[in-house]
Amino acid sequence: MKEKFDKLITRAFAKPLYRAAVILLGLPTMLAAILGFLATRRRESDEYRTYLSAARDLAEKDGTLASIREKARAYLTKKYEHFGKQAEEAEFEKELERQIQQDENTEIAARVDAMYAQEGKEGRQSFVQFLCKALDNRGVLALSVVTSFPMYVLLLIFSNAYARYIFERLIMMVFVAFGVVFVVFTILHFASSSPAANVLGETATQEKIDDFNRVYGLDQPYIVQLFNNFKNLATFKLGNSYVGNEDVMVAIMRKFPVTVEMTVYAFLIALVIALPIGIISAVKPNTAFDYVFMFIALVGLSLPAFWFGMIMILNFSINSHLLPASYIEGNKLSLLMPALVAGTHLAASLARNTRSALLEVLNQDYIVTARAKGLSNLRVIIKHGLGNAMIPIVTVAGLQFGGSLGGSAVIEKVFNVKGIGSYVVDKQFLPDIPAILGGVVYVSIVISLVNLAVDLLYVWLDPRIKSRLKSQ
Amino acid sequence: MKNDKFFAKKANQRLLKRHQEPGSLAFGAGASAFLGAAVGLMAVDFKTWSVGAIPAAVAGLFLAEALAALLILQVVNRQIISGGEISRPVRLIGALLFLTIVNGNIFCCVAGLMLVKKEKNLEYQVGCYMLLVEILIILVSCLNIFKPWVCNSFFLGIGILAAVITIHAVSLPLVASHVRGNRADKCMLPLAVVLIVLTVTGNLFSLLLGLILLRKVLTKDDHISIGWVDVVKRLFRSQMAVLGAFIIVFLLSISICANLTFDYGIAVDNDYSLILQPPSLAYPFGTDDYGRCVFTRVIFGARISLAVGIFSTAMSIAAGIILGAVAGFYSGTTDNVIMRILDIFMAIPGLLLPIAIIAAFGTNTANVIFALGVGAIPSYARTIRASVLQLQDAEFVEAARACGAKDNVIIFQHILPNSMAPLIIRATLGIGAGVTAVSSLSYLGLGIAPHIPEWGNILKAGSAYLETNPYMAIFPGFAIVLLVLAFNFLGDGLRDALDPKLK
Repeated sequence: MKEKFDKLITRAFAKPLYRAAVILLGLPTMLAAILGFLATRRRESDEYRTYLSAARDLAEKDGTLASIREKARAYLTKKYEHFGKQAEEAEFEKELERQIQQDENTEIAARVDAMYAQEGKEGRQSFVQFLCKALDNRGVLALSVVTSFPMYVLLLIFSNAYARYIFERLIMMVFVAFGVVFVVFTILHFASSSPAANVLGETATQEKIDDFNRVYGLDQPYIVQLFNNFKNLATFKLGNSYVGNEDVMVAIMRKFPVTVEMTVYAFLIALVIALPIGIISAVKPNTAFDYVFMFIALVGLSLPAFWFGMIMILNFSINSHLLPASYIEGNKLSLLMPALVAGTHLAASLARNTRSALLEVLNQDYIVTARAKGLSNLRVIIKHGLGNAMIPIVTVAGLQFGGSLGGSAVIEKVFNVKGIGSYVVDKQFLPDIPAILGGVVYVSIVISLVNLAVDLLYVWLDPRIKSRLKSQ
Repeated sequence: MKNDKFFAKKANQRLLKRHQEPGSLAFGAGASAFLGAAVGLMAVDFKTWSVGAIPAAVAGLFLAEALAALLILQVVNRQIISGGEISRPVRLIGALLFLTIVNGNIFCCVAGLMLVKKEKNLEYQVGCYMLLVEILIILVSCLNIFKPWVCNSFFLGIGILAAVITIHAVSLPLVASHVRGNRADKCMLPLAVVLIVLTVTGNLFSLLLGLILLRKVLTKDDHISIGWVDVVKRLFRSQMAVLGAFIIVFLLSISICANLTFDYGIAVDNDYSLILQPPSLAYPFGTDDYGRCVFTRVIFGARISLAVGIFSTAMSIAAGIILGAVAGFYSGTTDNVIMRILDIFMAIPGLLLPIAIIAAFGTNTANVIFALGVGAIPSYARTIRASVLQLQDAEFVEAARACGAKDNVIIFQHILPNSMAPLIIRATLGIGAGVTAVSSLSYLGLGIAPHIPEWGNILKAGSAYLETNPYMAIFPGFAIVLLVLAFNFLGDGLRDALDPKLK
């Protein structure tokens, strides 16, 4: 148990970022440890110095150092000869000096280590070794856990490969969220159009505009505004929108479920359509079925969503009155058409990727082996083929799902769905900075979470990834 | 059980595969049947069950041509199976298929061109498509004759096009006979220069043919195959890829030639006597709510879509190459910093980043190009970084390093040329995505200024009249689908052609 703990601390200290985090989170323990370490260090240094001089004397006496010098000179002369270098005397001497120094140090260090071993001592301790030894004492350990609890939480996370992976990704996500706020805010801040003039209209007086800018903090310098936005993000208060003065967080929470619902329907439609088509196309490549459906998939990939949406409205709403043309809150049927339009694109790319991934797997040698074993065709395709083709399929599916969460603005506008995409687009014209920032950051965080979930799915799907993760 | 018939069929199929003609004929027949059926479906008005006369006639023509191609295919197949050769009379009959160009049926026309000549080298194939592009442009331009007036430069434009067609038509038999394998006769040199100069019409096939000729004239040893010509050869084996390239070249060429043969005024000037006219011969796609000819607007919209798609992709590729190469080559902190910054840009989903940039800097073409370009940088940088990382340890890179090559030489002369294949494929698909993106932005009102003829703008105007005048929204959409589909076809074909596994 203790050994494991020591190893953990050593490993954590080997990584610069974790080292910094551990020192920062365990500041009380670390301060005490550093003071203690410096004190022992001084005592140890004296001891070390005596050993060092003893070793040097001994080496000088038995002629080892002299032979080292001779060897180095001979080696270097030969090297210069071999490369046909006509170097100057000074340069040769300099290099010789360096070579001798290096060889001597190695020799003496070895002797010092031998001396320590002879006397049954461990030699000079590193900081980590000192820390581990200090924490051997149960009282110290208890005190340390109480005073610097966060450090132990971090170490606990660090000890588990999955927890550590998730933790690192979450930290990345926070970093990305702040980065997104920085980028989007900077773009909007230096926009040519001023929100005040757009919100208040053309008739607004300068006084009114100044007033508006003061209320929303737009009169402050760029750095202050940026910092305020960072603060808003850190406290999960995204501020109020310029128009309607409503809380952005509340608005997003109202809009986002609609987008999620639509995307989930689209994704389900895509899965149901694409997987069978992709599998059959891969099992029977270069047949009429394959050609026809891959052509349809390519067409589906090329359809601009807004045009396809309009054609759907034209056919199913205007001409045949089957489905409502625009979204009605609470009416599930009105989400069918937007989901179909979004699902077409998803299905197209999913089918193509399923086909190519499965086709590649089906050409592997182990598929031939499986067939030669006499396994049924279905079993080979489902278990050996699809099982191994899952990784690229899941990757694409995850990316597409995340992408359509954020990329459905156009479809939402066509069908008048009150989702997050159309919310952000509507606010762009002012630009209503808090609303846009909130919407974009929110969507990007959700997409990052989806990507994280997909990556964790890999671990479950592919044992190779699992072992690679654990060996890190 | 598999009987004798099964194996006989397999043997016949193998025999047919040795010849190019059955494939191109089948493709021609299938594609024109598909086109005919599509036009036929559109001709029927399902509300009243009435049929428009002109579309029905066009559909009938296409279907008849498909039938003709199918009949010739049967004859050709029988001859190949029985004798292994296609007889001369059949080849001459096949030449009649060339006449189907009159109604713009390029599929059957290509099949005819492929049938008429026995020995087809790559140059002949490229030449055929080169010729077809121009003939089709003349045909489309001639639709203007039905309008009340044509623009001043119309006849000049048609004349120039006719001259170019004549030159190309003359060059076709020349290249077919003077190029053997990897070597072309010296007399092809002036022709190559002429062909490259004629690319001013936007006909990239002409450029391609000129470059191939030039390379083959200058070749020193015709036993050595030329890498990129082999790629082109493989590309031309795929009907779909060539079709995609053909559509792109056609749209590029017509967006250049339209400056002479189409009247820009009809596309932008309001004419209140012609508001919301249904499609007719004079106005093939009808007129919009300001009385502007939708067909002319669609033609002039091609250049904006193409320009935005191509330039924004070029921009993101340039930035992506530099960032990706640096990140991949100098791994460690440099890599980390660059990739983390790109992660931020990648985290902003879909069109939201371009939308924010455009909202900030205003709607004009340059901003749209910039916004879409910035949005696509991370994915290109990632592609390049992945291949650089892969090639980092390759032996030729190590050799270059051992020879003392500088970093920039290693990156730009050794690593990047070898990681071009995934980039070219991505770029082709990326241009298609850019075309969709710019029209989506215009549709949202955040793209090109509304009066400028751009496909998204035309659609946006059409969406308001969806109930009464649906054609206004349908036709520009077809144009977008066609162009994006073309880039996807070409990208797929390039992927197969560049796949090193096939080499």
